[in-house]
This record gives sequence, C-alpha cells and structure tokens, in this order.
Amino acid sequence: MRFRANIENVPLFFRVIQTLEKLQKKLIIKFTEETMHLICNHETNEGGIQVWSQMRVPSLFTKYRIQSNAKNEITMNLYSDALLGALRSAAANPASALNGAGNTAGAPSSIETDEVIVRLTKKNDQAMLSFEITGTTRLGRLVRVVHDVRIEVLKPADAARLAEPLCPTPNVHILLPPLHKLRTIVERLRPMSNILAIRANSNGHLQLGINTEGVKLETDWRNCTNPSNNDGNEPEDEEDEEDLEERKKMYAVIVSIKSFLKFLGAHQVSTTTIACVCQHHCLILYVYIGDVADAGGVLTFYVPAVIDE
Amino acid sequence: MSQNGSNSPDILNASVEDVRYLASLLRGVHFSTAGLTVTVEEARTLVAVAFIFAQVFDDFDVVPPKRTRQRSPQVIEEEDELPEPGPAPRTPRAMQQDEEGEDEVVPENYTTAFQINLNVLVDCLNIFGTAGPVTAPSATTHKKWTKPVQGGGGAEDNQNSDGGEGPPRRGGVNGGGGSGQRDLLPVRLGGQMGDKKTSVRLTYSGDGYPLVAVVTEESGGPTATCEITTYQTEPHLSLEINSDIVVCRIILKSSWLRDAISEIDPSCERLTFIANPPLDPNARRRNGAESQPRLRIQADGTFGSTEMDYPNDKEVLETFDCRQRIVFSYRFSHITKTLRALSSSTKTSMRIDEDGLLSLQFLMPKPHSTSDETDGFVEFRCLALSE
Repeated sequence: MRFRANIENVPLFFRVIQTLEKLQKKLIIKFTEETMHLICNHETNEGGIQVWSQMRVPSLFTKYRIQSNAKNEITMNLYSDALLGALRSAAANPASALNGAGNTAGAPSSIETDEVIVRLTKKNDQAMLSFEITGTTRLGRLVRVVHDVRIEVLKPADAARLAEPLCPTPNVHILLPPLHKLRTIVERLRPMSNILAIRANSNGHLQLGINTEGVKLETDWRNCTNPSNNDGNEPEDEEDEEDLEERKKMYAVIVSIKSFLKFLGAHQVSTTTIACVCQHHCLILYVYIGDVADAGGVLTFYVPAVIDE
Repeated sequence: MSQNGSNSPDILNASVEDVRYLASLLRGVHFSTAGLTVTVEEARTLVAVAFIFAQVFDDFDVVPPKRTRQRSPQVIEEEDELPEPGPAPRTPRAMQQDEEGEDEVVPENYTTAFQINLNVLVDCLNIFGTAGPVTAPSATTHKKWTKPVQGGGGAEDNQNSDGGEGPPRRGGVNGGGGSGQRDLLPVRLGGQMGDKKTSVRLTYSGDGYPLVAVVTEESGGPTATCEITTYQTEPHLSLEINSDIVVCRIILKSSWLRDAISEIDPSCERLTFIANPPLDPNARRRNGAESQPRLRIQADGTFGSTEMDYPNDKEVLETFDCRQRIVFSYRFSHITKTLRALSSSTKTSMRIDEDGLLSLQFLMPKPHSTSDETDGFVEFRCLALSE
C-alpha cells in the first residue's frame, strides 16, 4: 500500500476540511486513482447531516501515486482537527495563498512554503499520513516541517460497506443564491426558531420560512435558476400549459436550523450550489468547488428532514 | 373590529425606502407624533418611547376600521398573503417579557395599539443584514433641538432592552452604535453598502391580525415577509413629566453624555445626577470660580465611585436651567439601556422634576433629511431610586 502526492492547492484543501471539521470530529477519506472522497457519515453527529464529497485529484494534487491491493484504493479514518492542523501549517504561505486562506490560517508565517508532500507512512506500527512541508525563511534558509496525522486504514471490506444515503428522486432542483447571503438571513432566524422550512418549485421560486407562535417569516427569491436535468427526471421543456402548474408547485422540507447553518459554513468554498428538495424526506445540497467548468469537486450534503407537525 | 378576513382594509399601511433609519430608531426604541409610537418598559421603573413621525415613511396611511370599503392606495403584491391569524405550532423561543411595543397612529384622533416582540421586529428589519445603524452622527451640530413636543406624547425612551442578552451592553458603544453581536455585522455592512437600500412595508389589519412587514432587498433581490404576532396591549406604566415641576433642564451634545456614561464601570449600581443652580441667582449664569460643579455625574459601585463634572461652558452645556440643587440617583443598569439610542443621537435633552423623575430625550436626525422634516426622537423616563 503506497501513497504520496504533492499538495498544490493547500488553501482549497484547507477550506474544505475546515468546513467539514465543524460537522464531526472524525472523517473518512478515500483515495482512488482519480478522486479523493471525503465522507462524514457518522450517525451520531448532530442533526444527522452527512457529507459525501468528491474532489478530482488534479484540482488538489500533483505527482499523485497510489497503489494498493484493493483496486488501488485506500480508505482511512482520521481526526479532522489533526488534519486541519497540518494543513493550517502548510497553508500559512503568502505565496500560494489563494485569497483569504491566509487569514484563516492563523498566525502569519515568516516561512514561504515551497512544497507540501503528503505520504502514507508507518511509525511504530501506527499508520500515519505524513505531511512534509518544505519552505524557505526570509533569510533564505531551508525549513522542513513534518506533521504526522494518525490514521486508521479501513479494511477493504469495511470500505465497501460505506454507502451513500438512499434518497428518492428529488422533487425540485434549484440553484441557491450566494451562500453567504443565505447565512446572514438564517443567522437572524436562528434565535427565533429551531426549524426552518425550505420550499422550492421548478419555476425559480425559493422560500425559506419559519413559523412560530410569535412570528411567521418567509424569505422569497423568485429569480432562481432551475438547472435542467439531463437525466430526464422532469422533462419539462415542451408542454407548457399543464406543465406550468406543475412547475409552480412548491415542495417543502423542514430541517433543523442548526444543521442548515453547518451546511452554510460551506460558503467559504462554494461557487455554485444546487439544492434538491425531496419532499418530507431530506434536502440534498451539491456544493461545487472551484470553477464550475473545471469542476474541481463537489461536496454533497444530505440534511435529513425534521418530522414536525 | 375588522374580522372579515383579508378583505378588511389594513388599518395601518406604511412603507419606507430605507430601512436603516427606521431600524435605528426602533433599536433606540421610539418614534412618534402622527406616526408611530413604540413604547417599552422595564421593571415598572423605566419607560422608553420612540416617536416615529409619519414623514419618516414614504407613505403612511391609517384607516380606521369602521369604514370597510376604503382601501389604501398602495397595496403591495404580497398583501394577499395575509395570513390567518392562527398561532404557529412551534414553541416560542425565550423572549423578553419586559418589552412592549405599541403603535399609535393618529389621523383624526384615531389610534390603534398592539403589542409585539420588538426584538423580532428589529431582527426582521435587519434580516438581510442591511439595517445597520445609521452612521452615528458626528459631534457637529446637525440641527437645533426642536423643543420636545410639549409633553404631548411625552416620550421617554428606553433603550431597547434586548431581552435575553445578558449584562448591560456597554462595551462597544463608540461611534457606530450599539454593541452586541447583532449590531456588529450591520456596522460593517452599513459601511460598505453605500446607497443600497432595503425597503420595508408594514401593514396591520386590526385586532387579532399580525403585523406584517415585507422587507425587500434592493432590485430584484429577495423579499422577506414577516408576520409578527400581535397581542392586546396591557396598561402601561404611565410616567408623565409635569413641566410645571421640572427643576432642571439641560441640553447637551449627545457625545458628551455618551462618553461619560460609557466610561463608567458596569459594576456600578447607581448613578447620581447632581446639578447646582448658578451661584448668583440674579446674574443667572456664569462666571467666576464656582466651587460647586454645575452638573456632576456620580457613579457608585461595590468597588468605589466615580465622579465626573461638566464644566460650565456653553460649548458643553448648551442649555442649563436649574432652579434648585438636585441630587437624584438612578439604577445604573437602567441608564445604560439608553446607550444605544444615545449613541445614534446628536443632542440630548435632560429634564428632572422635583420628584426625581428623569426624562432623557435623544434627537435622532434623519440622514439626508430635507430641512423641515421633524426629526424622530426617543425618550426615556426613569424613576429615581427612593432613599
């Protein structure tokens, strides 16, 4: 079992892990030849929110080598804050800092990172993901920092048992407004209610609502885009008449505001986000990372519905 | 009253283009006169009233419910969504009980009043994070203090006693406005939003109907429809200041008072105002070395006391009219509630009557207002501690 890679886009990796770290303490990473999967599927985490994400290897890594007996896949379980610590150290790099990552990366470092290599190692019988950061000080001296993140490699059988949650075909797909704007609003709502209703139709209408004894508040967006479904779930192009009725039908799902805010933490990595409402079942959110065209990766959040009233 | 469903005309129908001023008045707690009056009360001791004049709104209509046909001119599209008043299913979050909001509208003496949870309204106005405080007026004189409308609504303003938020906010009172997390964001956004305006339309259809606020972010942005449950009003603590027995009137720039009050340690329990009439009653003001300070603010707490004297200077105390020596104490936590309103006001009028009833009026200039409009103001009235 071998694995090594150069991390090229440390800030992006850092922000993704930062988003996930808020969800649960442990995280599963599965490396394959083409993609890196980040999985948060703990039943126990608050609100039952799950994340299944895929990032294409070229968007993060170069000189990527992987080899194992299980179809060249390696699956591991690790503590996300340890991983975050290693990345924070590597991200404190003025040269490659993609906007803003430097701020989040803690104290400004006087070291300029030249190269970050991650490899699978074993020390004292303990499997590690070892991050080797090579940098140059201002005086031009070489610095080498190594972070070892303890991991637990999953057996192929266990890894095969990981499965995404099964969801019915979504009733509606809709493009969300910028997540930081949503977050402002949802933060205002949190003191007023524990649950949030998300309603959408296929006519570009999205609504966030709360309804309590003291206040009923609905926020509407009417010009959202409904991405077309190529896989033909809703062939809705031609027959306009009855179809319009159908398209105007609102589908709703009620989720916990806390969970939704955790998802909104992804505003720092998102460019485009598509929400899918499975009425009374769950909300699925696809957060696209980086340029849509180049599709660096997708974080998929499954937010279960709260059964209420 | 109008119980015939959404057909009934709205008793109140008002809209404003820029929500920020409204929000800052409400945050400070009170607007009034032929407009809206918002009253809050704390501990049966402190009353705050915000007077929001009808001119603050771009349109402001009050239709007494008797005449059922009349529909107010502008009706916004969301209006048909007027909800059935049925209470919502969820349990309410803990909300402060000590706030009561009341709207009074006075065209031809008709008024209507209801109670709401003010925090919810302020949060709704700020739902897009765009209702940050109007930039705190600088110390430059903006407008003369308009003589408070003769006792008329006697407005006392109490600072929005933000129910649940714990200790009196005194931290960040500088410049921009209140402290507390809710305000921090707006302060930032307020700065960068420039001219972007969030507008709001308020409607209320009568007893049993919610107060509906439709908040629209500029240009094709999202809209938020808030239906805030209204309650029947409970009798208010009535603290009217009788101008006949007022023994001390002071007008000063708000910044002078703000700096003094925000300097005081929050652990203090009581605040004492001491005012002395001019030494020579004939020469009515000024001059010579006076041993007694004109106005002294004294704060006492477990750990000591602070005294602050104001110089007898026209620059500082624009008006100082004191008939007899007065010494009255107030609970400091009540006085600190005025800080948010104080911070966004330009001038303060302070009156104390012979029983120690304190009235603080804060003039809140409307940004970019054109000359004649009456500025909104917020008034706080507070009973003195009895010895």
